Amino acid sequence: MTSNIVLAAILALGIVGWFAARSKARLLYTGRGSLHSMPGYHGWYVALWLIVPALIAWAAWQAIMPGLVETAILAQPIAAKLPTIDMDRAAVLSEAWNLARDPGAAAFNPLATEFAEPLRDLQFRYSMIGGVLALVLAFAGGAYAFTRVRSGFPARTRTERTVMFLLLLASLVAILTTIGIVVSLLYETGLFFSQISPIDFLTGLHWSPKDVADGADFGAVPLFWGTIYIGAIIAMIVAIPLGLMSAVYLTQYATPTARKVLKPILEILAGIPTVVYGYFAALTVAPMVRDFAEMMGKDNPSTESALAAGLVMGVMIIPFVSSMADDSMAAVPQAMRDGSLAMGATESETIKRVLLPAALPGIVAGVMLAVSRAIGETMIVVMAAGAAARLSADPFASMTTVTYQIVQLLTGDQEFNSPKTLSAFALGLVLFIITLVLNIVALRVVKRFREAYD
Amino acid sequence: MTDTWQSAAAQRRLAKRHAAERRFRAIGLASIVISLLFLAVLLFTMAKNGIGGLSLDFLLGSDSTDASTAGVWGAVKGSLLTMLVTLALSFPMGVLAAIYLEEFAPKNRWTEWVEVSINNLAAVPSIIFGLLGLAVFINLAHLPRSSPLVGGMTLALMTMPVIVISGRNAIKAVPPSIRDAALAVGASPVQTVFHHVLPLALPGILTGTIIGMARALGETAPLLMIGMRAFVSTPPGGITDPSSVLPMQIFLWSDEIDPGFVQNTSAAIIVLLVFLLAMNGVAIYLRNKFETRW
Repeated sequence: MTSNIVLAAILALGIVGWFAARSKARLLYTGRGSLHSMPGYHGWYVALWLIVPALIAWAAWQAIMPGLVETAILAQPIAAKLPTIDMDRAAVLSEAWNLARDPGAAAFNPLATEFAEPLRDLQFRYSMIGGVLALVLAFAGGAYAFTRVRSGFPARTRTERTVMFLLLLASLVAILTTIGIVVSLLYETGLFFSQISPIDFLTGLHWSPKDVADGADFGAVPLFWGTIYIGAIIAMIVAIPLGLMSAVYLTQYATPTARKVLKPILEILAGIPTVVYGYFAALTVAPMVRDFAEMMGKDNPSTESALAAGLVMGVMIIPFVSSMADDSMAAVPQAMRDGSLAMGATESETIKRVLLPAALPGIVAGVMLAVSRAIGETMIVVMAAGAAARLSADPFASMTTVTYQIVQLLTGDQEFNSPKTLSAFALGLVLFIITLVLNIVALRVVKRFREAYD
Repeated sequence: MTDTWQSAAAQRRLAKRHAAERRFRAIGLASIVISLLFLAVLLFTMAKNGIGGLSLDFLLGSDSTDASTAGVWGAVKGSLLTMLVTLALSFPMGVLAAIYLEEFAPKNRWTEWVEVSINNLAAVPSIIFGLLGLAVFINLAHLPRSSPLVGGMTLALMTMPVIVISGRNAIKAVPPSIRDAALAVGASPVQTVFHHVLPLALPGILTGTIIGMARALGETAPLLMIGMRAFVSTPPGGITDPSSVLPMQIFLWSDEIDPGFVQNTSAAIIVLLVFLLAMNGVAIYLRNKFETRW
């Protein structure tokens, strides 16, 4: 509440400052060359000085305020009522915080209700102090900048320097995200490995994540196998031939009109959300696979099967493989194709003997990218592959994957720092490293391949 | 000479090669037909199961344990709020980063690291972003769990690389003569970019943004990680309220045992696909209408 008012006030001050500075600069204009910068830039200069320091101060105050409020309430006489044990005290206080924020919230501890009122008062008082502080800072910054609005003042250069800083900041977000992913995964994985040996994790053949006291096993090999079997074997058996042949047909045989119509329709397959594929796999494909397994003489096959998940995943990947194959075939010089055709080879012979071998490195790289996408896919396996961690080559068996287990371990009630929850981050790290390596290698291959024909 | 070519053996060999040609061509056509058939069956199944469930009550209702009264409005509103947060964060950051990398960044090791990191982020599995969101936004920053705020922030990190990559391509496509002309009449480099290059690149950037947003709208896995799977029977009032999103609603309903939910799930899928179709339609329209070939 107060936060919104303060932010609105700062913003309003900024707008007022912008107009004031611009009109002051306009009055300074006496003819060509009399002003260094356009009046608008003076406006921006003042507005930035008004808004930026005040916002930084307000954000900093928000960060330290809870600590100040808590110190203040512990200094009050009412604090004597608090339990002396640290943990109980923290519980009462956190409940009181909830009540202070939302009076309608349920409270289990009568003591918390008593604390809510003074807590709310203190919080209000401290946020008023912070708000006044921020507004004073805004005024001070604005006044300082306003006095500098003179005809010779380079307001444009100063404003543009801020803009450049903003641009740099935005591009840093990408690197910060990468660092954030690596650090958070490494940190949680480190906690996990301090309780479970990494060798057991990477080579163990038995997976049953429970609490350590109940004799949990964190051998992830069955998960790796399930991931590879579904994502890199079954899905690729579907996606590579269909994707490759679609690309061949679209680029080599189809008329331009047919290509223009068929290609976007094929791309729709890539745009359908994975949860829809997952539902389709569970609703339609999985029962069909089960019936087929029954026909093949398996008794009592499970509804969830590696084959159902892998098939649907393969179809999802088709447009991806197809467009990668398309790109790499387009990179093969026309002269090679023409040469083969001129020697009297038919078109299919040219494609099989000249075009595909020449495009092979690009296609292999495309397949690697497709594999990295397939093993990171979550919803299809969550909805259709099952939870049983087993080492089996039977496509009709239910099988589990790394992504499925991450979802299982982290949804529902969870306590942090139990090896069960932490193991999800270790699995995430393995997944991250594998997809990263696949991507880097694939991009290298593509780059070298492009250079070969340039 | 002609005898060799017209001999029966040569004719037979030629016929065999032509047959192989036809076979190859048929295989190519068949693989496209199979792919499209799969798509058709998928869409038909959803339409058949779901079309009966699309009523006004369904579109305006919220989640419920009873299949006949459950609706999607709560989830749709959650999705809209989440997308709003995602757009508000990823669009400005993505465009600014694209401008910096394409127009101002010095060619050094640091810039190379930023580029490599953006290209890799675009290929990182979405569930990893969910783990990041869980570890940083929820466990570290204590932001409200299962809220559109955290969901939108997580999806923004995922969408930003897409916007940067498409934004860079759009900026690269603006011919250097535009920049030269602006600089020649005295514009500063920043003015050149913001007054001339950016407006010309905007349609391309917007197309990329819409495609990135469409992908974020259909995303489920990262949101599962940050706990957006709660049962929410009232539409969220703001970005910090617990909420669900459309794909998550589909996932939750697909787990229900009551057969009435099959219709609901399929109907919700139709709603989601209509949204995606509309977004992609707008992207294609923008591209066709405003794209300039220099």
